[in-house]
Amino acid sequence: MSAAICWFVNSVSNAMEHEGQAIARGLRRRDPDLLDGLIERYHYRLLRYLHCLTGSRETAEDLFQETWIRVLERGRQYDGKSKFEAWLFTIARHLVIDLQRRRQPRFLDLLDAGSDGQPEPRLEDQPSALELVARRETSERVGTAMTDLPATYREVLVLRFQEEMAIEEIAEVVAAPLSTVKSRLYRGLEALREMLGGTKI
Amino acid sequence: MSDDFHKSAERLLAALKVEGISPTERGWLDGHLESCARCAEHAAALGRAVASLRSVAIPLEPALVQTTQFRVRRRARELREQESRMHGLWFSCALSWALGVLSAPLLWWGFQWVGRHMALPDVAWQTAFALWWAMPAAATAAVLAGLRARAAKENGIQESLRH
Repeated sequence: MSAAICWFVNSVSNAMEHEGQAIARGLRRRDPDLLDGLIERYHYRLLRYLHCLTGSRETAEDLFQETWIRVLERGRQYDGKSKFEAWLFTIARHLVIDLQRRRQPRFLDLLDAGSDGQPEPRLEDQPSALELVARRETSERVGTAMTDLPATYREVLVLRFQEEMAIEEIAEVVAAPLSTVKSRLYRGLEALREMLGGTKI
Repeated sequence: MSDDFHKSAERLLAALKVEGISPTERGWLDGHLESCARCAEHAAALGRAVASLRSVAIPLEPALVQTTQFRVRRRARELREQESRMHGLWFSCALSWALGVLSAPLLWWGFQWVGRHMALPDVAWQTAFALWWAMPAAATAAVLAGLRARAAKENGIQESLRH
């Protein structure tokens, strides 16, 4: 049983490494078809991450485009050894910091101090109008609570619970030690629990 | 029940969500939650917070994907054109340098002959030779500096247009 699990884990790990290498090769060539595919694949997750960080749809869309331009220009820096999404989110994060540095220096200090598990919405699973309203209300409520959280907590919560990233990957994205990431996760989660209080989902 | 038990339970509940806990800790926690309404409510609230975080949805915008793909392709074309120009420039530099190296002895003799024929001091024709030799490199450096300045200016304009 454990041998089968090891074999499965190794297979998944090899496949991910192979995929990373393929992406790295494509980025070195600046392969437009590869980039088109990546943009479509990470569209929702990247936009949601940027939206959660910035709290603004318009800003998130601008930064979304800038992130992909940056991926194109600096694609040769991606070595394919780490997960592509960690590298992608790091680029997006730096753009958010750059933007906030221009707009509001305090935000920078706060943010700088320091798998595909999440299913994406499927077009065929059309929710009812009532469900859509309920989801929007929940999203708005959580969104409000999230914007009240300090940026350092917000970003690790998004990466951990929306992007389902491992703590090591989050540490890579936010360029902080593991202990710092864990500490932010604990504090952020507690703060969010207190803010949402008895809200029923 | 001691406050320490509640604190331990709350700590384990958070750890369960953040990084996972051992089976022993899980067993103790499950037992505690069965007998403690306060911690069970805390666990439910924590579960709701994580579930709400996972439920955050944003509307999909297909036009954004298309716009981004279009911009990325356009920028890729610009970069290819820039690289192609730079390749031409580097090839010219390499050719010029190779020809300069190959013709250096001949030029040296030529400058020496002219210098002696005109009865110039050695330092004069040697300086003239050095200037002649350095001229292509200086010209190339000037061209590269100009190109870099132009690229920086274009990037600055694009950046200001974006914001």
